[in-house]
Formats: sequence, C-alpha cells, structure tokens
Amino acid sequence: MEKRINLKDGFIKQNMVFMSGLLIAPVIACSTTLVRSMAVCFVFSIVSFATILLCRLIPRTIVYTLRVIIYTATAAVFYIPAVLLAEAIFGEALIASAGVYLPVIITNSLILTKAETRFYHEPFSIMVKDVIVFILGFDAACAFTGIMREYLASGRIGGAEVPLLFEIPAMETTFGGFLFIGINAGLFRALYNYRKNHAAESEEGEESLAEYAEDMGEFLVGKHKAEREKSSKEKIRIYRTAIKKTKNINELLDMEFLSNRDVLEAFEAIIAEGQEMVPDNEEGAGEDVAEETADTSGEPADENSGETAGPEEEKKVAAAVAAGEKTEGENGDIS
Amino acid sequence: MEIFLNIVSAALIAIFVQNSILERALGVNVLLYASRKRDNMLGFSAAITYTTTISAPLVWLADTFIGDFEYYRVIMPLIYVLIIGIIYILTLILIWRFFPKFFRSLKKYVHLSVFNCSVVGALFLCSQQGNDIFSYLGYGLGTGIGFLFAAYLLYTAAGRLNSPLVPAAFRGYPIMIVYVGILSLALYAFTGYTTSAV
Repeated sequence: MEKRINLKDGFIKQNMVFMSGLLIAPVIACSTTLVRSMAVCFVFSIVSFATILLCRLIPRTIVYTLRVIIYTATAAVFYIPAVLLAEAIFGEALIASAGVYLPVIITNSLILTKAETRFYHEPFSIMVKDVIVFILGFDAACAFTGIMREYLASGRIGGAEVPLLFEIPAMETTFGGFLFIGINAGLFRALYNYRKNHAAESEEGEESLAEYAEDMGEFLVGKHKAEREKSSKEKIRIYRTAIKKTKNINELLDMEFLSNRDVLEAFEAIIAEGQEMVPDNEEGAGEDVAEETADTSGEPADENSGETAGPEEEKKVAAAVAAGEKTEGENGDIS
Repeated sequence: MEIFLNIVSAALIAIFVQNSILERALGVNVLLYASRKRDNMLGFSAAITYTTTISAPLVWLADTFIGDFEYYRVIMPLIYVLIIGIIYILTLILIWRFFPKFFRSLKKYVHLSVFNCSVVGALFLCSQQGNDIFSYLGYGLGTGIGFLFAAYLLYTAAGRLNSPLVPAAFRGYPIMIVYVGILSLALYAFTGYTTSAV
C-alpha cells in the first residue's frame, strides 16, 4: 500500500486549485492580495488538517450519510479557534472582509470527499504526510494566485510597489478570478502533461535500450571484461549518462557503438547491473531484484557480478536487465 | 402582496445580481459535477433549492434570537451546519419512509448536493442580505434557482467546451472555469455601473 501512494500527488497531479478544482471559491473571490491569501491558507490548513485527523477516529460502521454531518460539524468546531487565531494574526478587519469565504472552508472536498476516497485508506503516518502535501499544494496555489492578482491589479506585492507596465484592475473581481484560475489551470496542466510525456519518452528509451542490451549482451560481456573493475555505481552512472545522450533507440543504433566508449561502457554497466539483479527465481522480477538477491543470498552484490562465464548465463543476465528496467518504469507510474 | 413581492425581489437578486455561482463563485466544484448530465443538473439544483429554502427561516430564527452573542460570528458555521444536518436527516427519513425507490437513487449524491459551499454560503448571504424572514426565504429560494440557471448555461455549452478544437490541456476543468468567468463578466453588469465610469 505504502509503495502505491505518491506523496507528490497533492502538490501537483491532484492540486486542489489548478488540477482538480476541489476548493476554488475562496481562491477566486478572496485571494486578491497576498495577505488575504495567507489568511485563507491559514484557516484552511488548520481546519482541514485537524478535521481529517480527528475524523479518522469515527467508526466506519456509521453510514456515510451520517458521517458527512459529523465531518462538517467537526470542521465547524475547529473553525472557531482557527478564525480567532487568524483574527489575532491578520487583524479582525481583514478576516471580516473575507466574508463568507472563510466559513465555507468547512465544507471543502478535502474533508468531505478526499478523506473518504483516499486518506482513510492509507496507514496513519502516510495519511498525515499525504494530507500535509495536499494542504501545501492548496496553500502554494492560493498564495501564487494572491501574489499575481495583487501584482496585476495594483502593481504591488504584499503592499510593496513593484514596477508594472499596465495594471489590470479586473483581476480583483470575481470574473477576473475565474479567468485567472482557468487560464493558469490550463497552463499548469499543459506543463504537467509535457513533463509527463517527456518522462514517458525517457522511460521508453530506457526500456528499448535494455531490450537492445539483451541482444547485444552476449557479445559485449565477452569483449570487455577489464572494464568491470569499475564500481557498480560508477557504471550505472555512465549508463544513465549514455541514455541521456540518446533520445531514442534509433539514435543509439545510428551510433557506431563499438567506437563510442561511453555507449560501450553504458552497455557494460547494464550487464553488470543485470548480473547483480539475477533473481533466484522468476517471481522476483516484479520487485527490486538487486536488493532481494543480496538479502536472500547473504552475499554482497558485487561478488555475484563478477562470476559470469558462459553465453547462456550472459543471456539470462541481459534478460534480467530487461525485466529490471521494465519494472522500474511501471513503478514510476504508480508510486 | 407585499410579502410576496419581498420574496420575489430577494429571489431575483439572488438569481441575477448576486448569483451564488457567477457572482460569488460559491459551489463551483459542485456546478462542474452537476452540469455533466441533465439528471445531475436537475437533481443537484432541486436539492440545493430545497435545502436553502427550508433552512433559511431556521437561520433567520438563529440570527434573530442568538445573533447578539459576542462570538456569534465564529459559531455561525456550526449552527448553520447543525440546521442543515437536521433538515437533511429528517428529509432523508421521510423519503426513505414514503419513497424507498427514490431514496435509493437519491442517496448516491444527496450528501454532495447538501453539504457544499453553495448551500452553506447561501445561508451566510441570507444572513448578510436579509432583513426579515421573507427576504431570507426569497434569498434561499433564489440561490437554488440561480444555481440551476448557472448549471443550465454550463450544461448547454459542455459539448462545445469539450470539443477537440479546444487545446487538450484546457479541455474540461480549465475551459469550463474560463467559460464561467465569461458568464460572470456578462452578469457583472447587473450589479450596476454608470457609463461615465467606463
């Protein structure tokens, strides 16, 4: 379970403001300046964190139809100290100017929906971290919105004047907030998709490289045994460097790899890594094989790596590399 | 007649001038969910209208009788949530008792349509804008109808907003928010400004 949870989700992939829109009313209508954003973030953080933690104790034997009332009432109770603290920190006038947007935080979807569908399925320690990341994700987006809207509307940030070519007073209005959030959500998603696709391409490249290594492994292991004196980590570093140099398998194939020292070393690193990763049985292919092998054999991984002899075993090594690389790619998607 | 006009004028203000979605941005996430399907849109709007309308007089009672309490402003959310909770439970019991089939179809999303920013926010707006029980009632009713109005506008445009002509990154949530922003801009004129100010 622990491996399946990506603690970055709440900050980027499922950001409450720019990606999923779970709580945007206070951001659109209230986050018009940095200070107001900070007040929203402050109340939201305290109310959400405390409520989610406490409501975990509520037995799930109570039907959700009733639990939802308890969640909201608990949030309303935590709202009292949170808003009194906020008044002491930010001033009563500023909290009063936030109007209805601070009270509506008690019905935010992090408490009512996300807690049920995600947080309460996690172990407690993981849940705490996950909730904090989600809250920080909201806070970052809210603060960014406040800073940008204040700057664009009045040429100020946190009250201090910052040079601006022209002001856009509409940024202070509700429709300005909608447009700002909508456009930024699109840009945020575009950036996220770009990075995701880029990462997928890299993973694909690594997988192809591993497949290529499977074909070439037999030849390479026999040719360059001397280079295996280098430490395993160093070889893997070279292997990673070589992968970065090539965008795809075709580009790699275009290289005269026998005369290209880096690529050759990279392949050797694959072989060395593969020898460390030889599983005792086929079931180990889905796990971190290197660790498992070292643990079960009771011997250091380096000792395993230097004892390859025949072509049959080399083929096994190369196959294990391919399996290891594929596993890494899959885990990257889900964890 | 005066009572009726009071209710109608408060409702019209809540629908057009201070629309909870387009003017106040309350319950936008619920709106995005509700506007996906026609049934969702009608169901959510009915639930919100019912809850805000029935809760409004009770909120008026609370505001009138304990509104002078020094810390009333910070315990208001708790009181409002309890009011909504009581109405929610009683309604569900009644529906479960007399319309069991309807109850089964309702319980999937009823909590979403009752416990959201739109309902809680509407009750706060009643408290801010209302003078008497009738204006509370009108405002509560108007908030629900205003939600239906905004949801319908979004529902009719949903097909075009999700067309391939829209860049992939903007399809779905971002473009809908931009669209709601443009609608909000259109309704902005209802709040009133003079041409000399433009």
